[in-house]
Amino acid sequence: MSTAPIEFPPPVDSAKEFVGAPTDPDDERIEVGVVIVGGGPAGLACAIRLAQLLAEDEALLESLGEVPIALVEKGRTPGSHLLSGAMMNPSALRKLFPDAAEGDWPTYGTVDKDAVYLLTRRRAFPLRPTPPPFRNHGNHVTSLAQLGRWMAERAEEAGVYLLGETAATKLLVEDGRVVGVRSGDKGRGREGEELPNFEPGSDLIAKATVLCEGTQGHLTGAAIRRFELGSDDPQQWELGVKEVWEVQRPLDRVIHTMGWPLRLGARYREFGGSFIYPMGDDRISLGLVTGLDYRDARFSVHDALQLLKGHPLVAGLIEGAKRVGWGAKTIPSGGYWARPRRLWAPGMAIVGDGAGMVNVPTLKGVHYAMHAGMFAAEAICERLKAGGSCDDLSNYADKVEGSEIDRDTYRSRNMRQPFAKGFLVGGAIANLMEISGGRFPGGRWATHDDATVDVFIGPERDYPKPDGKVTFDKLSSVFLTGNATRDDAPNHIRLQERVPLEVALMWQNMCPAQVYEVPEAELEAARVDGRLDGKREVNLAVIPSNCVQCGAITAKGGRLTPPEGGDGPNYQTT
Amino acid sequence: MSILVYALHYQGEFNRNSLGAVSEGARLAGELGGEAAAAVVGGDDLTDDLCASLGRYGASKVYRARAPEGLAQPVVDVMAKVIADDGFEYALFGGGLLGFEVGAGLTARLDVGVTMEVTAVRAQDGRLVAERPILQDSAIVDVGYVGEPGIVIGRLNAFDARDGGDGAAEVVDVEVELERHSTRATMVKRGEQRGADVNIEDAGVLVAGGRGLGNAEGFELCESLADALGGAVAATRAVVDAGWYPYAAQIGQTGKTVAPKLYLAAGISGAIQHKVGMQSSEHILAINKDPNAPIFEFSDLGVVGDLNKILPKLTDAVKAKKG
Repeated sequence: MSTAPIEFPPPVDSAKEFVGAPTDPDDERIEVGVVIVGGGPAGLACAIRLAQLLAEDEALLESLGEVPIALVEKGRTPGSHLLSGAMMNPSALRKLFPDAAEGDWPTYGTVDKDAVYLLTRRRAFPLRPTPPPFRNHGNHVTSLAQLGRWMAERAEEAGVYLLGETAATKLLVEDGRVVGVRSGDKGRGREGEELPNFEPGSDLIAKATVLCEGTQGHLTGAAIRRFELGSDDPQQWELGVKEVWEVQRPLDRVIHTMGWPLRLGARYREFGGSFIYPMGDDRISLGLVTGLDYRDARFSVHDALQLLKGHPLVAGLIEGAKRVGWGAKTIPSGGYWARPRRLWAPGMAIVGDGAGMVNVPTLKGVHYAMHAGMFAAEAICERLKAGGSCDDLSNYADKVEGSEIDRDTYRSRNMRQPFAKGFLVGGAIANLMEISGGRFPGGRWATHDDATVDVFIGPERDYPKPDGKVTFDKLSSVFLTGNATRDDAPNHIRLQERVPLEVALMWQNMCPAQVYEVPEAELEAARVDGRLDGKREVNLAVIPSNCVQCGAITAKGGRLTPPEGGDGPNYQTT
Repeated sequence: MSILVYALHYQGEFNRNSLGAVSEGARLAGELGGEAAAAVVGGDDLTDDLCASLGRYGASKVYRARAPEGLAQPVVDVMAKVIADDGFEYALFGGGLLGFEVGAGLTARLDVGVTMEVTAVRAQDGRLVAERPILQDSAIVDVGYVGEPGIVIGRLNAFDARDGGDGAAEVVDVEVELERHSTRATMVKRGEQRGADVNIEDAGVLVAGGRGLGNAEGFELCESLADALGGAVAATRAVVDAGWYPYAAQIGQTGKTVAPKLYLAAGISGAIQHKVGMQSSEHILAINKDPNAPIFEFSDLGVVGDLNKILPKLTDAVKAKKG
């Protein structure tokens, strides 16, 4: 018994609903030079680079009007919705801030030692020497939430207009070209009705629109459909849940683990691993990442992370420690083949995670996002200088193509796909690819849509009961993110609420923020002779105000849309 | 060292939150060797008797100003004048939306220091130190004041009202010329938030229901018990979300913050989002069928059992006792 979530697609047609012509009367439209959607590493690097280039060309700056660069960010502050591992390659920051000394930006520095372990329930087998993708010499331990805030300050200093707490909900297209974005309404009630504090959104009209929306780009997805930019290979995602701990003893190395608590069998398709990074002397960052093509409806990344903390290797590191941060995010993992076939449309460029610019084996993407953001800025400036139209942004794509973004992701283009065959077989093939520099076995290994993978209800899992000290439930974790979204906000998650139990349970367990719940009565009703009938259709309860915008639901059969600007988590240290 | 406290009234009564602030101000002033006074602003309903009754809560003097009610700026004008004329070292507010607005306005007007969301205040070395939870209530910081007056704005219901039973405060009428901008807003209508018929923030006893009630009908058990106890009914987010009870009764992070004398939690698991809205209740009694429910970790009395049996028996017992 099994069901693929894609059989119950979300009630949404993104190319129609989220793309359209401007609707505000001419005199109410907000005219800007370039509008950038998303205040993450891609968007902020793009904005800062644009400001640098415009500072060198007064006439061009003048021609872009009162607001030459506008950046729209849905989080409470830039950084509120940012989360990453992260061992960041500093090459992009060096390029963006050539005069900055290392350490001018928020960083926890480099780490000399690294270790990779294959875990069983009680033991840890070191892999020596450290496999090349896990070597991080010269990379910086970084909190992306902190880096985003710092970069946003630099952007504002450089003259960028930051529109905080503002979601971009619609891509404005006129005569086949992108002319800007529409910001989201605020102050609507549960059923979409206008509350006393209702404020309608606005049309932001721009000469160029840069989509830097991150892992599950709302407008990016719609644009890829509308302009048919997608690859034949679907994008796929991994889901990471991360915690930050205040520890008693400093950690002196970067640790990655594979194996337990994920199951190695091909039947479960649990691909992923954990990372443990020191953040200075008194904190560590600890996370677990799993491919969303897993199959067992009872699998939960959040709870698997709780389980991992009981492993002797990890338990020792966090003895007497205190959890101070938590968060979750998806990572595009389709790699080279799944990237949009074209990174632009007339008047628009797609940058960073939204364009799948992630090197999966090395777990790197932050610096690619920044490099691509700078490329987009440079390409747009070239076009504006040459005559003002950004209809053809193929120069942006050319810059990406000639860069390390393409080089690195091409080399690892086939490494993620073999793991669909299970960890052991997949690991062996990926090793061959690594040793041969990506040449063997060559070819084009297809990716698949995570939502097409059928799910079933596996055996009961032995996830630990939260003790509030080492292991935590989902709700107290959401609380730690500072998420205080009002309960009467409209539901920003589109999915079918009556689905087979195996799909409903999968959503309930997948979601790290407890947004989906199978009511107890429904669960009881589906119990036949002590076993759960996975095919039985149940009504799902959805609590959208818990959502931390990780994006997993879009990968696995639903569709996340932006909440009201300012809602969602307020990450500080992730 | 003296303290000026703002007291809000509505329909001829001071609200409980303000009475708590007056009591707290009087206690602290006593420790500092000074006096606590209250500032009240409103119309003819501010009778001599009503104002003097603040003496029962420890105020020695009440400054009464005739000015529009329920608006922040006129109160700022009044308090700024009283502080300028008579000299106060601290101004204390019990919280609530108006208290926050007046406190913030007064802070800006006098260009002094402020601490908001204060949960406790103590006198130390002849000065006040305010305790303020930070980082989603995971840590508490002590805040002292450098200049004068120091503005202390409590979290709603952070301070207990202590009725001394007797004592009358001296009532002093203050003439204040309102700032021009203070007269620009007029009060159209005052009413309870979101049409709630019971003000759960003021209730001394709350019977709160959670998902353990099983269904919307389960709230009838809570209502009967609340009636018997003379209290009100509150609810968790989960049941409000499920449509079992109105939002106005929701307690917690995204609902109301309460601190009744007795909080009876029926079928509530005790998620942190709920806890932050009721943790300063004086006594917490929890009934839950799950012995591992987190609520038992912060209850004074925990009962593991079936609500459908316990609640009706408890209601009968309370009725019998009350006769």
